[in-house]
Amino acid sequence: MKVVEINDVYKTYHDTEVEVKAINGITLSFEKGDFAVVVGPSGSGKTTLLNLIGGLDQPTGGEIIVAGHRLSELRPSELIDFRMEHVGFVFQSYNLIPVLTAEENIGFIMNLQKWPKEKRKARTDELLKSVGLADRHRSRPSQLSGGQQQRVAVARALAPRPEFILADEPTANLDSKSADTLLDIMEKLNREEEMTFIFSTHDIRVMKRARRVITIEDGRIVSDERTNVVS
Amino acid sequence: MITEIAWKNVWRNKTRSLTVIASVAVGVFAGVFAMAAINSSVVQRIDAAVNEELSHIQVNNKDFRSSGDIRNIIRDYDKILSVLNNTPGVTDITGRVILRGVASTAAKSTGVEITGIDVEKEKEMFTLSGKLIPGTGSYFGPDTKGNTVFKPVFIGEKLAKDLNIIRYIITADVLKKLEEKGVSSGVTAKLLSIKDQRYTSDKKFKRAVEGLLTPKEIKKYALSIREAAWSYREGSRIILSFLDMNNVQTGAAFRVCGIFRTNNDILEGTSLFVPIDELRKLTGMPAGTYHRVIARLADNDMTDDATRAIRNNLPDYEVLNWKEIVPDLAMIADMMQQIYGVFMAIILAALAFGIANTMLMAILERTREIGMLAAIGMNRRKIFSMIMLESIFLSMVGGIAGMVIGKVVIAITAKTGINLVKYSEGMEAIGYSAHLFPTIETRFFITTAVLIIITGILASIYPARKALKLNPVEALRGEK
Repeated sequence: MKVVEINDVYKTYHDTEVEVKAINGITLSFEKGDFAVVVGPSGSGKTTLLNLIGGLDQPTGGEIIVAGHRLSELRPSELIDFRMEHVGFVFQSYNLIPVLTAEENIGFIMNLQKWPKEKRKARTDELLKSVGLADRHRSRPSQLSGGQQQRVAVARALAPRPEFILADEPTANLDSKSADTLLDIMEKLNREEEMTFIFSTHDIRVMKRARRVITIEDGRIVSDERTNVVS
Repeated sequence: MITEIAWKNVWRNKTRSLTVIASVAVGVFAGVFAMAAINSSVVQRIDAAVNEELSHIQVNNKDFRSSGDIRNIIRDYDKILSVLNNTPGVTDITGRVILRGVASTAAKSTGVEITGIDVEKEKEMFTLSGKLIPGTGSYFGPDTKGNTVFKPVFIGEKLAKDLNIIRYIITADVLKKLEEKGVSSGVTAKLLSIKDQRYTSDKKFKRAVEGLLTPKEIKKYALSIREAAWSYREGSRIILSFLDMNNVQTGAAFRVCGIFRTNNDILEGTSLFVPIDELRKLTGMPAGTYHRVIARLADNDMTDDATRAIRNNLPDYEVLNWKEIVPDLAMIADMMQQIYGVFMAIILAALAFGIANTMLMAILERTREIGMLAAIGMNRRKIFSMIMLESIFLSMVGGIAGMVIGKVVIAITAKTGINLVKYSEGMEAIGYSAHLFPTIETRFFITTAVLIIITGILASIYPARKALKLNPVEALRGEK
């Protein structure tokens, strides 16, 4: 089942007098349960592609359909609701809310979606356990290591059961051990919950674990390979 | 959740938030306390006007006030009495005879309003008898030696000074008294140069003393010297002249039975009181007639209703309440809430810039976080509410602290009072006390709380708009 369809998408930035084609005619789709990475050199358009898929940015040409929604047809306020309901974001710098505990950070989106308290609590407990932080309910981000913070961020992204997770360089700030732990968790969630993960990365460890590697250069797809990695 | 995050965000940078909170607290305290002090001067002035001089409601012969003719008398006192007795809220009633005339001593004369009063009834209804200066006699009783004072007159300190009944003299006795009180011999030696000279006004005496002493000596001893030099001869004679019922000049010599001191120079300087029968005898006014009937009410708030009722029942008389007699005072009292609102609004408007600046700094520091919130699905309304709540919390915490401090300081100073003796001359000249007992009504605090919330909202608009303009992609990229 297709979760994301990208049809001949362009994204052009006008930086003073220079026109930058960040995405230059990409056609691509992601299936439910994909564990895919988008790789490429800096400035190749990886992050831009993820922003377009996540509805954070609008293409200058082409069409993106996510979970049946044509993103170009959504108004800005509808795009916010779309992101909340269908997309989970994991950022390079974790971006947890520093004044909230791990538990509250994970429950944040569910709270915005007005989940009942008991249901929210059960889901939070389940996710904290899944990411190996069952004993850190009450810890604030400042009391957690980088790896632990990123695990909380993954749990937050997964909490409202989105269609897929977009993870922009999720291991870039982590040491090897933390990165491996994080990838183990994400692979497990992909396997057990059939959660779709789309990464952008430079990290060879992530590439090695991916079942699909999409390489882009100058805003174009250079290769799209499915690997034989068995989780 | 939004409320909780907003509250926690306030305390992210404690030093910065506490600085803003402290500035709001100081501003609100200053506003509340200043208004309590101003309010107290008005309340005290109203109390003094009602309790010493006017009472709540006056019924006059219709033409008396405009003409000043003493022949415009109230003849059917019983009818007025009956109406007043049947008016809800009226607790006390008395009648007055009022003449305009001249008071003279051997040295001076001045125009006065001579009020004939029922001595005992007035003692119950007014506080003037309690304003007697100790040592100057009594309120229509015997003098300090126990001798009866015939044709007594009760006058104010200012009038006594104007008529040279009170004067300031540095005598040998005064110098001795001062030395006993601890005034240095150096100072008393300086005062020798004005020994036995009579000064008929505070101002002249003050000037003479201040010309002799150093600023330090003035600060330390001026009040003691003034008190010691104050001189008054008991039973001083005053000639009162006025027109009688036949429009013929008449008058008599009266003896000062006592001198009162109030904060109202106008009352002190122009009014004197004598027993009503003495005036009736001298003017030929029939017994049981008056120029003015005065009613006191159980509560000042009943004034308007009682006035309306009495006015309806006595259409042939001029019925006035204190608000109509001193409209400037009534207007100030009525406008206090508005004055307070404007005063606080000015203070809070200044504070709003500080709050807005702090919020702006907080937003700029949290650009990436706000971008992340927008990215994961927090809509514009919620982001705006979060920032607005932070601003309201900042202002409310400071505001509540300021109000609590204000309430405590008002409670303390309401007991101890604030002495503005330095400005007493000017304040008393217009009837206001120089000794303030700050007071403020609960509704002033409610107004303050509402204004603080409005300030918080207004101060948040610019920073919140700034936050809403952030593009999530740029905000997230900006600090990556």
